Amino acid sequence: MRYVKIKDEKVYEFLEGLKNYGKLYAPVKISDKFYDRKEIDDVKKIAFDYIRTIMPAKKFFIPPKEEMFEIDIENGEYKEKLEEVEPFVLFGMHPCEIVALRILDGIYMDEYADIYYTRRRKAGIIIGLSCLPDEYCFCNLRRTDFVDIGFDLFFHELPDGYLIRVGSPNGHKIIDENLDLFAEVNQQDIDAFREFEEKRQRMFRCYGSFDNIRYLLELTMQDKLWDEESEKCFGCGNCTNTCPTCRCYDVQDIPNIDGKTGKRIRFWDSCQFRSHGLVAGGHNFRPTKKDRFLNRYICKNSYFYPLGTSYCVGCGNCTYFCPANIDFLGNLLKVRSTAEEVKNA
Amino acid sequence: MHNVYALYKCRVLRIYDLTDDVKLFLFRFENPSIAESWTFVPGQFVQLSIPGVGEVPISICSSPMKRGFFELCIKKAGRVTSKIFDLKPGDSVGVRGPYGNGFPVKDFEENDLLLIAAGIGMAPLRSVFMYALDNRWKFGNITVINSARYGKRLLFQKELEAMRDVAEAENIRIIQTVTRDPDWPGRIGRAQEHIKYANTRPDKSYVCVCGPPQIYNDVFNKLIEHGYDPKKIYVTLERRMKCGVGKCGHCIAGSSTFLKYICIDGPVFGYYDIISTPGLI
Repeated sequence: MRYVKIKDEKVYEFLEGLKNYGKLYAPVKISDKFYDRKEIDDVKKIAFDYIRTIMPAKKFFIPPKEEMFEIDIENGEYKEKLEEVEPFVLFGMHPCEIVALRILDGIYMDEYADIYYTRRRKAGIIIGLSCLPDEYCFCNLRRTDFVDIGFDLFFHELPDGYLIRVGSPNGHKIIDENLDLFAEVNQQDIDAFREFEEKRQRMFRCYGSFDNIRYLLELTMQDKLWDEESEKCFGCGNCTNTCPTCRCYDVQDIPNIDGKTGKRIRFWDSCQFRSHGLVAGGHNFRPTKKDRFLNRYICKNSYFYPLGTSYCVGCGNCTYFCPANIDFLGNLLKVRSTAEEVKNA
Repeated sequence: MHNVYALYKCRVLRIYDLTDDVKLFLFRFENPSIAESWTFVPGQFVQLSIPGVGEVPISICSSPMKRGFFELCIKKAGRVTSKIFDLKPGDSVGVRGPYGNGFPVKDFEENDLLLIAAGIGMAPLRSVFMYALDNRWKFGNITVINSARYGKRLLFQKELEAMRDVAEAENIRIIQTVTRDPDWPGRIGRAQEHIKYANTRPDKSYVCVCGPPQIYNDVFNKLIEHGYDPKKIYVTLERRMKCGVGKCGHCIAGSSTFLKYICIDGPVFGYYDIISTPGLI
């Protein structure tokens, strides 16, 4: 892998230059507590120390709502609606979100590739940024705390700048076209990089492996834990909206007021809604709140085999944004161990 | 790049009433080259769109050997299927597919075939049956057990009854049974109670089952009791499907060690998939 270094004083110039490659989006502070990815006008507003954004990066590739087809009802025809996709740059992507995008790639760009997703994915440049975990993060348990693929450039924090890993031809091109901004990586930088990684590894809430969690979860599905926890749930769907790998969508045909034309739209759906498992005739495959609650745990903890990781990347968003304070990791830890100290954690 | 959600225009050629709330629709693709090249495996389904109303997944119930045409057996159950019932010959709809894995019909060859249907479950199994009839020499004995609550709810009852005597001479047995109909002149009882009358040899048979989820365990138990090989039992499942191509997530089922998209990993599953996975049926 190719490594270069950028010094602190050159970073803003580099970020300004990124606008030549497309619309620049990066995390900015939007309130006392929250961050979101916004189009960047003034690069000095970019938040480098953010931990999570209110919306995951999937919104750039699967918009919350999009038009798929224009319908000519009179002639019974669906016309493909493809919006113009402009190149864009996502700066400040944490490892968990980069893995999440690769999971979405595996689903949306398989043998039945989704054209809407694929076009946006090809137009996006992904620039990663190293992070330090808070008490909600558990990417270490999911083995998604460090990425070696899925980005164009990855920025690792150093005391006086950033160590940059180059991960794609597009990444190389950006480096080559701005060569005067970069320096070679020296021994001091390598030591600082190692130190940062070590410090980061010591900061997680818990350690070990979650590789067996899907079996333990399957074996404990009858536990009263799930009755108690699902009882707390409001069924609001915040967990799935903020999950970087949740990708369920619903489709509707909406006729226009003239009755002759219309549009087919798709929009984010959530398995936490009663309508998600409902079929015509009134049968529901997930009739109770507990069914729906467990469905998310099952889905997130099962393995996405093309990547060899679970669908959950350990970002902690579902817990952080849960209005009922349901602790996703806490529940999984209870599944993993019956030790008292874990139960009371 | 091809859009997997793009629809092909199809025309309704004929409509037959099967029961009071089920109709059989015969379709043909408007584009002749698609009509000629389009094919499927029995057990697969299509996504059918009524412009401006919506899209529904429907099992194909005709044989793939009948090129250029396909039949869908549709029960009036919801918003979209109610609109489908208003269609008249000559009307057009949008169709995409076929989707799903379908039955492993190549494996079935040189074996006996037992098809067990309850209610609307006859629709996907009719495709297997018609395929077996079109390739009669490839299969051994065949039995179809078609069951419903009432005689008037038996799908394809007339079609199957009409071929019964001829079929028997060809080692094809047709058993039609109802559970709650005192006026029905034929057999009474649930489908599994008639497995013993099948002409299929348990050690040489593949079995396909389709019906409401409640029937599966009873049918499985009876089959195993009669000596059928559990490895050779297949079922086809139903779910809410919006995309058909493993994206929208509505049909996800199973448990954390065996998470499946019914639309691409199914809808046909083997007996051992079913019993090892909570939530599939």
